[in-house]
Amino acid sequence: MPIPRRDDIHSIMVLGSGPIRIGQAAEFDFSGSQACTALREDGYHVILVNSNPATIQNDPEMADRVYIEPLLPDVIRSIMEKERPDALLAGMGGQTALNIATDLAHAGVLEELGIELIGSDLEAIDAAEDRDLFKKVCESIDLPVPFAIACSSIDEVLSAATEIDSWPLLVRPAFTLGGLGGGTVWNTGELVEIASLGLRNSRINQVLVEESIIGWQEHEYEVMRDSADNCIVICTMENIDPMGVHTGESVVVAPQQSLSDADHQYLRDCALRLIRKLNICGGCNCQFAWNQATGEVRVIEVNPRVSRSSALASKATGYPIARMAAKIAVGYTLDELPNPITGEGTTAAFEPTLDYCVVKIPRWPFDKFRTADRRLGTSMKSTGEVMAIGRCFEEAFHKAWASLEYGEPHPRPLTRADESDGEGMAERAHEALPESTLVEWLRVATDRRMGALLEAFRRGWSVERVHEITRITRWFLHHFENMAKVEKEIGDYIGSIENLEGYSLRRWKQLGFSDAHIADAKSGFPKTGWKNLPATAGESAVMTRRHQLGIHPRFRMVDSCAAEFAATTPYYYSTYEGSEESGIDILADIEERTKERMVVIGSGPIRIGQGIEFDYGCVHAVKAIRESGRDAIIINNNPETVSTDFDTSDRLYFEPLTLEYVCEVLIRERAHGILLQFGGQTAINLALPLESRLPYLENMNLNLRILGTSTDSIDEASDRERFELFAERIGLKMPRGATGTTADDVRAAADKIGFPVLIRPSYVLGGRGMEVLSDHQQLEAYLKEAYLAPDIPLLVDEYLGHAIELDVDAVCDGQDVLIGAVMEHLEEAGIHSGDSTCFIPVQTISPQMVERVHEQTRAIGLGLGIIGCYNIQFAIQGDCLYVLEVNPRSSRTVPFVAKATGVPMARIAARATLGVLLKDQTIPEPRTDLVCVKAPVFPFIKLTGLDPAPGPEMKSTGEVMGSDPDPDVAYLKARMATEVPVAAGGGAYVTVRSADKENIVPVVRELLELGFKVHCTSGTADVMRRHGLGVQTAYRITERQQPDALNLMRKNEIQFIINIPTTSGGAVRDGNMMRRLAVELNIPFVTTLSGGKAEVSAIRAQRRGPLIPQRLKVTYLKD
Amino acid sequence: MPRTIYAGQGFCPGAGLVDSAEIPSFPDAADLMLKPFDNPPIEELPGLLLLADGGRFEGLLFGAQGQAEGELVFSTGMSGYQESLTDPSFAGQVLTFTYPLIGNYGIHAQCSESARIWPRGVVVRQAMSCPDHRDSLGSVDDFLRLHGVTGIQAVDTRAITRRVREHGTLLCVMGRADDERALKRRLEVLKAPDLEDLVDEVSIDQPVLLNPGFRGPRLAALDCGIKYNILRELCRRFEVLWCPPDITFDVLVNEWGVEAMFASNGPGDPAHPGKATNARHTLAAAVASGMPTMGICLGHQLLGLASGLTTYKMRYGHRGANQPVLDLTKKTVAITSQNHGFAVEDPVRGMLAAHPSGANSGPQENMIGAEVSVSHINANDRTVEGLDVIGLPAFSVQYHPEACPGPHDAAQLFDRFSEIVSSTLRGDAYSST
Repeated sequence: MPIPRRDDIHSIMVLGSGPIRIGQAAEFDFSGSQACTALREDGYHVILVNSNPATIQNDPEMADRVYIEPLLPDVIRSIMEKERPDALLAGMGGQTALNIATDLAHAGVLEELGIELIGSDLEAIDAAEDRDLFKKVCESIDLPVPFAIACSSIDEVLSAATEIDSWPLLVRPAFTLGGLGGGTVWNTGELVEIASLGLRNSRINQVLVEESIIGWQEHEYEVMRDSADNCIVICTMENIDPMGVHTGESVVVAPQQSLSDADHQYLRDCALRLIRKLNICGGCNCQFAWNQATGEVRVIEVNPRVSRSSALASKATGYPIARMAAKIAVGYTLDELPNPITGEGTTAAFEPTLDYCVVKIPRWPFDKFRTADRRLGTSMKSTGEVMAIGRCFEEAFHKAWASLEYGEPHPRPLTRADESDGEGMAERAHEALPESTLVEWLRVATDRRMGALLEAFRRGWSVERVHEITRITRWFLHHFENMAKVEKEIGDYIGSIENLEGYSLRRWKQLGFSDAHIADAKSGFPKTGWKNLPATAGESAVMTRRHQLGIHPRFRMVDSCAAEFAATTPYYYSTYEGSEESGIDILADIEERTKERMVVIGSGPIRIGQGIEFDYGCVHAVKAIRESGRDAIIINNNPETVSTDFDTSDRLYFEPLTLEYVCEVLIRERAHGILLQFGGQTAINLALPLESRLPYLENMNLNLRILGTSTDSIDEASDRERFELFAERIGLKMPRGATGTTADDVRAAADKIGFPVLIRPSYVLGGRGMEVLSDHQQLEAYLKEAYLAPDIPLLVDEYLGHAIELDVDAVCDGQDVLIGAVMEHLEEAGIHSGDSTCFIPVQTISPQMVERVHEQTRAIGLGLGIIGCYNIQFAIQGDCLYVLEVNPRSSRTVPFVAKATGVPMARIAARATLGVLLKDQTIPEPRTDLVCVKAPVFPFIKLTGLDPAPGPEMKSTGEVMGSDPDPDVAYLKARMATEVPVAAGGGAYVTVRSADKENIVPVVRELLELGFKVHCTSGTADVMRRHGLGVQTAYRITERQQPDALNLMRKNEIQFIINIPTTSGGAVRDGNMMRRLAVELNIPFVTTLSGGKAEVSAIRAQRRGPLIPQRLKVTYLKD
Repeated sequence: MPRTIYAGQGFCPGAGLVDSAEIPSFPDAADLMLKPFDNPPIEELPGLLLLADGGRFEGLLFGAQGQAEGELVFSTGMSGYQESLTDPSFAGQVLTFTYPLIGNYGIHAQCSESARIWPRGVVVRQAMSCPDHRDSLGSVDDFLRLHGVTGIQAVDTRAITRRVREHGTLLCVMGRADDERALKRRLEVLKAPDLEDLVDEVSIDQPVLLNPGFRGPRLAALDCGIKYNILRELCRRFEVLWCPPDITFDVLVNEWGVEAMFASNGPGDPAHPGKATNARHTLAAAVASGMPTMGICLGHQLLGLASGLTTYKMRYGHRGANQPVLDLTKKTVAITSQNHGFAVEDPVRGMLAAHPSGANSGPQENMIGAEVSVSHINANDRTVEGLDVIGLPAFSVQYHPEACPGPHDAAQLFDRFSEIVSSTLRGDAYSST
């Protein structure tokens, strides 16, 4: 049969989704990578554009041409003019790509350049995105939509509310990311507030005022359709959280559980009718609301593209949706594509069927953003998600919980410590959570609700009572009740762990109770934590007993067909099964396997401080292992990533990254080595516990090596005191510092060092709890909130004012050191390095200083005995070079370095880890003809209650890159890629702390030269006028005089803000309010002097003419 | 909206379609649950499932106390367990559900496909004791207990499925763990249910007019184990005479004046010399006479046999709601509901996906005086999924367009048949495309 691949198109442009941010995370790296691979294997010339340097998708190996450029219509247009693609595939880059495609199509650009939009066509996108059009489409095929009225002004909103006449109402803006700016409103006041915001955020200035279906069930259908009108449903999903919580914020189960076959087939018919009516070719996601009491249905929305849900559906079923969507876009029909899972003999035109249960839990950043508003609603707040697979709901849920990495790998009884957000945790751990708080945690959806459900059942509440409060489907509640029941059964078990009988233990394991959970529950959840249990009662005691009884997990293949066909997908999950076989479920044919087996530990859910960069590193590590002729095995639990694509590695295990689950995989694989340096802090944290378990594993005939940097070296690099000794020994300078385990220790340390000090907890992940304190008052405030315990000391450091910070990524093989790049931060030390804007090559550092940085980097790598990659942060104050921190692992800048210089650091490091010396590797020469800038992207718009200013605590979710021969243009590109506009002109508002008032004068002068009208607070204005600069005075809100800054902003008279905040006094709140408003109005602002200077040069660069896109010219040489 | 749920009991496919006082009604398997029944909690009684190949699976018994035996098969549908349990095509078999959570939404009134549960035993990973649905009358455990069927849960259904996939369907017994020796002895002497006249067991004995006076052609629905939803679909289009499989074509034409013929799904071997063969003769006579005819599942296999094709036992058959069927004319794929363990050989490719036993009907006589062409094939294993009789208004499909359980993708086949009947009765020349 002739394959119907289209041969009238040859080159295809694929758009990525830009930086990782809330509402659009790594799922598009995964789908874009699949799409590029699928198109290239058919011989298409693929041109990829994405502004995010951290993705695998825009690695030079993934596409024929790669552009790391801002995802803006004008930029895309100029790339199109240069590359002249035949077609544009926009459905792989989320809403960002879809919006650009519709912009270019509506503007006639695609037609003018003769570029065909493939995949979903323009009409389909418009009909799915425009709420009014969508409603008409649904009505035309008899599908009920919530009664709603589209409004373009507040007046229309108010009359719509009168017409619908039932509260609450739902406000939904059209054309936004992740439901931004919408919400449920209970009265006119809230309606006006939310609707105004929604109107502003909507790209077409439209909101929908809608009947509320709060409390209904939410179901999702992932559907695919090809050009021959073949339609299939890949996966159904049911949200545990009822309607009212964005599906991205909901705990989701696949397949759906509570619908009868008749109910399900009705919804399936609806989904197929929708995709057919909208004429979508490729993947699409249909969301329905279902009233369980009446069987009523409402269509909520359709995403005419691959989405976060389709990534989840892909990983939940094993069906590669993005790959198939790309094939469909170029003309293939489903029946002519082989099923990539079951292989030849089966076709892609079939519906996966599952014989397991999948649970997805979002990962929220509230563990870091203690002040942010935790309520979940129609806009997203989570940064990532985890997925787990089990043979029953309880098992999948427990595994998902263990994957979250919030601190406790299993749910524990709630106490007032859980309520305290860090303050006085130890004392409060002895008080149970008050009932009124528990009711509130159940009633209002927050990240705490799942824990609250278990707590309610632990306290013996009935399913009906909890259902009344939460409206959560009873089916789920019965299972939570069962978890609490079994937890109690474990607690009541008479007899010691060493005498546990097999029947009970097996049953607990089948319900997903981990060894640690069983030990903890059996000891009554001691306040001191399960890690401090005596050896006879702890996690390893349970493990030992379990192994004695031969109870090991079975490893089951995710094969999309419930074992009906002999699949070949190397994609597994663990589960505890009945008793047919016991003992270790050894990998099939292990005796015949001659290749060494190397396990790479992934990085888990995307969260602040641990983003997609680590997945990038893992994927490269896997590639290096495979290139070396070994089997690469990956363990990870993040459904959005490339690393969890089943064809990335030789075998994929979708598991929590805890010691227990990792060890069982190691035992099954009889693994030879494990690589911990690519999975971020998650993997590094496993180093010590794993090492202490090695002798035990050795007794089980497992000769496993922890590859790369030894755990002792990891500890020496990470442990403050040990590292200080090391630094002293080899003559490195560090900021003075001290540790304290009590408040008095900390006070004494601060006094000794002298204010300002930098304070933070040890073993940090993304600078949690790090702050700069300038006096005793602030120290006392910090201590009040800080969690101090003997094993969690606080570190107090000398704060280096006006220092330049550098990041260095390097690889050491024990003999030589390869320095990937020295990066200069734009912001001075004190802003978390993850939040900084940085340059390759350095811009203001002398070659002599760079040489010293190189020398010290070598000394540290060789001195610590690093094998593999490491990252160092340096600070330069005057002539002094300080070492701030050494991370003995892959860092978040590794992919940026690779793309800026062409040196694939992660791959080189992985080879070094496997024992290939640097001198034996072919390493490309770093390329230096362009200046590359990495800039952070912040989640401020999504998270209210969070101060929108960078500081020592990391807040960014992702990053973008800009490159150009001219550093100003490179910076401009990076800035534009952050999707916060660069001001073209108009008004600027400048308010800086006293110390910087003089320094800001040249910046203000330049702004005036550029034609800006500059408004300053009175203090700043005085200084400006003294320098002869004509500025306007604007008042602080607290001064209660007009014009005040907020008013000017609202009146659209401010297009750019420089706000260098003081850290104390009335101005703090003032600055916070102003920055919050700036975020909401999308007005760019900077909070540092250097940021101000850079922004002004970007404004200047912008006026010099259109941007010239730079093709990524690096290629990675193969050995 | 989803299927309308009536508060009442029973199956009454003519209701609402004709204005007559004599619409017959039949029991629905869930009727037993409309009356109060005692609901003891599921006991944890250790059970054992023994397979003819030596497989041994420990679990916990549920449903009715006792033993069960039959041919072990698996179904991959994730929902629709009530419809499957009451599908007469499962007669003689022990049904394993691959989806591990069975019983989530309970048992519903008027959602059964017949008057009772047909599998002789049921194997699940977990039988949900707390079903949650507005229409739920009780749990799967209740349902099995009230119908006297034994089930086993907490067994590794995936391991069982893999075994069946690798070895082909095989015989099994289940019962109390402490009866292991007795169970083993029973397994040694167990005969294949295919040898029984299963069609006789599942079909009605007397013809009944379901919707007397319906304004449409009169159709004979030959019951080889017909599912209620097929009758529902037929009643919407025809005046339906529900009749036993051994009724003769002469009686149907002369005494009942039927104008169209339908042959239903059903259990077992289509070449069984019992009532399946009676049905084959009736069907063949109808086709040969030029009467518009449609067959589903077993009815399709009977048409294959009648046209001279061989039928054969499949390795493990197709049971589930996700079988892709390729329409060879339209070149489109429908996702279909299926439940069959036998197939019609492909005239060109032969007996695909055959059981290791090699069981087949042997060569058959062409009783219809016309040739057939393959209209549909399974997109996975390329086995025959549909036949068209060349030059005559007759066709058949292996899959279940009536769904229940399963997707509605193929539902328009009943409309297609209705059009064929109308045009044949009008005297239009027949074209099979």
